[in-house]
Amino acid sequence: MTRLILSILLMLLVTGCATAKVKDYEKFNAAKPRSILIVPVVNRSVEVTAPDYFLSTITIPLAEKGYYVFPVNLVKRMLEDDGLSDSGLVHNASVEKLSNLFGADAVLYVTINQWDAQYLVLSTQVNVDLTYVIKDGKTGDTLWEHNQKMVYSPQQNSGGHPLAQLISAVVNAAIAKAAPNYVPLASQANNQAFTYPGPGIPPGPYAQQ
Amino acid sequence: MKKLKYCFVMATILVLTGCVPQTKYAWNGYDQKLYDHYKNPTESEQFVVTLKEVIEYGENVGKVPPGIYAEYGYVLYEKGNFNEAILYFKKEQDKWSESKVLMTKMISNANKIAAQNEKRKESTTEKSVPITGDAK
Repeated sequence: MTRLILSILLMLLVTGCATAKVKDYEKFNAAKPRSILIVPVVNRSVEVTAPDYFLSTITIPLAEKGYYVFPVNLVKRMLEDDGLSDSGLVHNASVEKLSNLFGADAVLYVTINQWDAQYLVLSTQVNVDLTYVIKDGKTGDTLWEHNQKMVYSPQQNSGGHPLAQLISAVVNAAIAKAAPNYVPLASQANNQAFTYPGPGIPPGPYAQQ
Repeated sequence: MKKLKYCFVMATILVLTGCVPQTKYAWNGYDQKLYDHYKNPTESEQFVVTLKEVIEYGENVGKVPPGIYAEYGYVLYEKGNFNEAILYFKKEQDKWSESKVLMTKMISNANKIAAQNEKRKESTTEKSVPITGDAK
């Protein structure tokens, strides 16, 4: 009996924690940014190529939402030329100064928490975990933030001969190992993160045209 | 039965057209090309060509995405093609008022470097005169 009560309590606690906090858009709507500067990404994964690859996925979803997005490659190269090739330095620099430099209304900071593939015995799982923070260029205040985790595991054909299953798992693992599908997964993460209504941001000034 | 078939065809068409992503801008594979550029940085020429294509296509359909003129201008700038770079920085500025601060900066940088290069060229030709003079 106590066990049952305990498990119910535990369940309540777990589900209670899981409910997503409804985001407060008051600051975002007050700031009404027209343009977003995407600065180089901080990488906490071991994959050194992750930040650049990720950078290629982030412009389109934001521009399609109706924001002016600064050209990411130009921004990255300019910061590198100014000795700011370390994205950690850029993320810690003053938001106001950075925005002034580019004339941006807001700055988007992305951190890659996870960007890897796990090779399990019977399947391979690709993981992408990203944190997005948009800060106001004038005040430096956080206007919006979100964490998005995506997991991809190739579909296993259930049933059939166990040996056939094992072979297909090995093949899947080999494919994922050769070229883990991070970029489509990162794009999916971006799409989900920016969906509005939802966790995302309201449409920008060019959305209606 | 015929009606059913008709319904099925209509439904398929609806699903198919629904699946075609309607984008605001003509990206024309910009994301893929940027990815390729980071994957094979040595093939930068391909990136330049691609950006030009995105612009041409975008202008044809009237949907040039934000930032693309500037991105193209910057690769020209890096190649030392300053006059053409300025042309594209100006295009970006005219189309997107949000880019004005950055584009003004880029244009003035490009002008400065172009002027410097011009000076250097002049000074090297000036230098070469007395050398040949001494030789005489």
